[in-house]
Amino acid sequence: MSQAVGFVVNGSSLGAIYALIALGFVMIFKATSVMNFAHGSVVVLGAYVVGRTHDTVGFWWAVLLGLAAAAAGAALIDVVVLRRARGADPGTLAILTIGVNTLLSAELTRETGSAILSTGAPWGTSTVHLAGVSIPLSRVVAAVVAVAVVAVLWAVFKFTTWGIAMRAAAEDGDTAALLGIRLNRIAAGAWAIAGALAALAGVFLTSFPSPGITPAVGVTALAAIPAWVLGGFDSFGGAVVGGLVIGIVTALTAGYQEHLLFLGRDLPQVAPYAVMFLVLLVRPSGLFGSTEFTRV
Amino acid sequence: MPVLPERRAHGTATPAGDGEPLLEVRDLHVRYAGSVRALRGVSMWVPDRGVVAVLGNNGAGKSTLLRAVSGTLRHHGGAVDGGSIRLAGRPIERRSPWSVVAEGVLQVPEGRRVFGTLTVEDNLRVGGRAARDAAARSAARERVYRLFPVLRDRRRQRAGLLSGGEQQMLAIGRALMGGPRVLLLDEPSLGLAPLIVERIADVITAINEEGTAVVLVEQNAAMALRVAGLAFVLEAGEISLYGPAAELAATTEVRDRYLGVGAGKPEPAVARRRATSPGPAVRELTVEEVSVRFGGIQALGDVSFTVDPGSLHALIGPNGAGKSTCLNVLSGVYAATTGRVRYGDDDLTRLAQHRIAALGVTRTFQNLALSPAETVLDNLLVARHRHMRTGLWAAAVRTARSRREAAEHHAAVRRIAELLDLDHLLHHHVGQLPYGDRKRVELARALCAEPGLLLLDEPVAGMNHRESLGMERAIGSVQRELGISIVLVEHDMRFVMGLADRVTVLDFGRLIADGTPAQVRRDPEVLRAYLGGSPEGLSERTGAGDGPGGTA
Repeated sequence: MSQAVGFVVNGSSLGAIYALIALGFVMIFKATSVMNFAHGSVVVLGAYVVGRTHDTVGFWWAVLLGLAAAAAGAALIDVVVLRRARGADPGTLAILTIGVNTLLSAELTRETGSAILSTGAPWGTSTVHLAGVSIPLSRVVAAVVAVAVVAVLWAVFKFTTWGIAMRAAAEDGDTAALLGIRLNRIAAGAWAIAGALAALAGVFLTSFPSPGITPAVGVTALAAIPAWVLGGFDSFGGAVVGGLVIGIVTALTAGYQEHLLFLGRDLPQVAPYAVMFLVLLVRPSGLFGSTEFTRV
Repeated sequence: MPVLPERRAHGTATPAGDGEPLLEVRDLHVRYAGSVRALRGVSMWVPDRGVVAVLGNNGAGKSTLLRAVSGTLRHHGGAVDGGSIRLAGRPIERRSPWSVVAEGVLQVPEGRRVFGTLTVEDNLRVGGRAARDAAARSAARERVYRLFPVLRDRRRQRAGLLSGGEQQMLAIGRALMGGPRVLLLDEPSLGLAPLIVERIADVITAINEEGTAVVLVEQNAAMALRVAGLAFVLEAGEISLYGPAAELAATTEVRDRYLGVGAGKPEPAVARRRATSPGPAVRELTVEEVSVRFGGIQALGDVSFTVDPGSLHALIGPNGAGKSTCLNVLSGVYAATTGRVRYGDDDLTRLAQHRIAALGVTRTFQNLALSPAETVLDNLLVARHRHMRTGLWAAAVRTARSRREAAEHHAAVRRIAELLDLDHLLHHHVGQLPYGDRKRVELARALCAEPGLLLLDEPVAGMNHRESLGMERAIGSVQRELGISIVLVEHDMRFVMGLADRVTVLDFGRLIADGTPAQVRRDPEVLRAYLGGSPEGLSERTGAGDGPGGTA
């Protein structure tokens, strides 16, 4: 029993990291209707900058630099690549981002070489014991940070004029433009925030118990895609819940892998997608996604 | 007085303002996608503190003109390729939308387009981003709440829950938040009941009296010409007439084409008795004590009426009366909370939408639901679906039977198209057609399903007078030729009175009258609730469509 609790607690903390990435997917999708498959390499970019700089500037400055680099990188993707293709078919936009992903991850692989960088996080490899469950400190921090970030984002979209304008632009861009909202700025802002969230997730994804910063982390980060989809493409709440579901499912299938061998090895990598399919069979627009709604 | 196509001197043509124009469009040319010419040398101007009406049919270029002014042409694949637009002497025709807004030109888009998921307050806040500073913003908010007290009462509600009239007020208020020097209104009366249109007209006057210039693009020429000082008529991308609104309203061209007085009176009621008896598939529709609730809001309460086979039954009432809700219950889009709808022996309240359609009950939509990328022919053929017997396999190998069947369906579609005068448009893409034609395509599509009962949701919404006369004739001839039952939801009282056999009047979700057009017209309850005016006002408003001699 306590073993199961341990898996759920660990899974939730992993899910919190996925939620940060999935929030970025939602943000970009709502603001620019782009399914951003370059998000995985933005996660790696953030972590890479932290790994390169923490020795010289210290961990906290390195995190700030990583956030800034990922935010700027994501905004650049929008400004340089996607702004010219605004309003194009969603498939075209998605393929553009796949191209960007290929370029960016190839470059990061070249930079990293065979070295495995560490984030240099002060919590290192220590673990904490909560209610008889042992859990890496980095994951506890991740969960706390994720909750704080979600709360701040919620407040920004609910109360600030900028956040409200962003919601307006996401709902009806043409009308927002008629009211003087600069859609290109809103779009770049959304990409930048999504990039910063990705960098945060990157730091935690590459901290203990993960081995360190490798380009392969970009693939791990894509596990947030099922979280995004099953939460419902355009729902912030859905991204958080979806992230938690995927995190817990991954942890449970990994924990009970020995008992689940009849389903084959590497089940934890497949399980998120299986859950996504099951959810979509019952709720085609995801858990919290808005259904295509037309007033008749 | 046919007005000269050259620009007149300001002194005589700017009754609502003097001096140099605030907004001036000179010899403007606009193209879409490099080929279609939408505006050809349009010149018009807005005096400082003036109200200007821009009239014209659907497709005349009114929306294009507004897009050119607000800098949003490029969002629609269009571009200015000649001429200039100046605001207080400064060129704005190449500006981005946000910088046009920053200059004080704000637009209220057609169809209101409020942000439905945002609260009323937040909608206003979005508009307020264009204001100069916090002081201007809070002054603007006070102004909006003063003009529209209902928005203050409902400020914490989501805008999507407001009625159509309230949404229009919010859309205007949202633009006012930016402190406009020029307010562009695109069809503010579209789809609104007469009482609300009066309110909107008063508000426009009030806004103008506080110093804001207004450009009013309207189908409702009567309202626009009453409010405006100066008016321009757009036809096929050119200004065909312009001058002081009062003078323009007196010209025969405008009276004929846009005000619906003079020629083109609808046929008298006696001439439109049914020629055909109802077909065998046409059954009686009985609505029995139907109620619909959304959350805590009662949209319909205990509504009962009967539609005789082969009759034309109108459902009228002010905005928010529950007409569309009622139609949505009949077609299975909404479930009735209580009560029953029977069509012959079948209980429609228990059937899924596609099962209802299979019984021969089809409908049209208020806001059009066609496939714009397909041709008219293909849109119509889709409606033949319920009569198609050929399976995928037989169609793929083109068996003799499948080819014979295809020929039959094409013939049926052509017959309907001829009936509605659409035969010459069959191979056009629906997206290219003007609005009035698309409305007729939607009617044709519904007819192609060979319904026994046809539900029409505001068939003339957004049409000008001439187009709606055409629609009236089309509906009349359809019903005579096919002998089907029609339920018609409409708030254009005149349109309904000339056409319907029986009229049911709803107000606030309740049935307040049910009878022949003549009975309903005299019903004091209807006078009070629907027209909100004195009996004299009623006879004036409904007289035009009321048989011979209405406006002789």
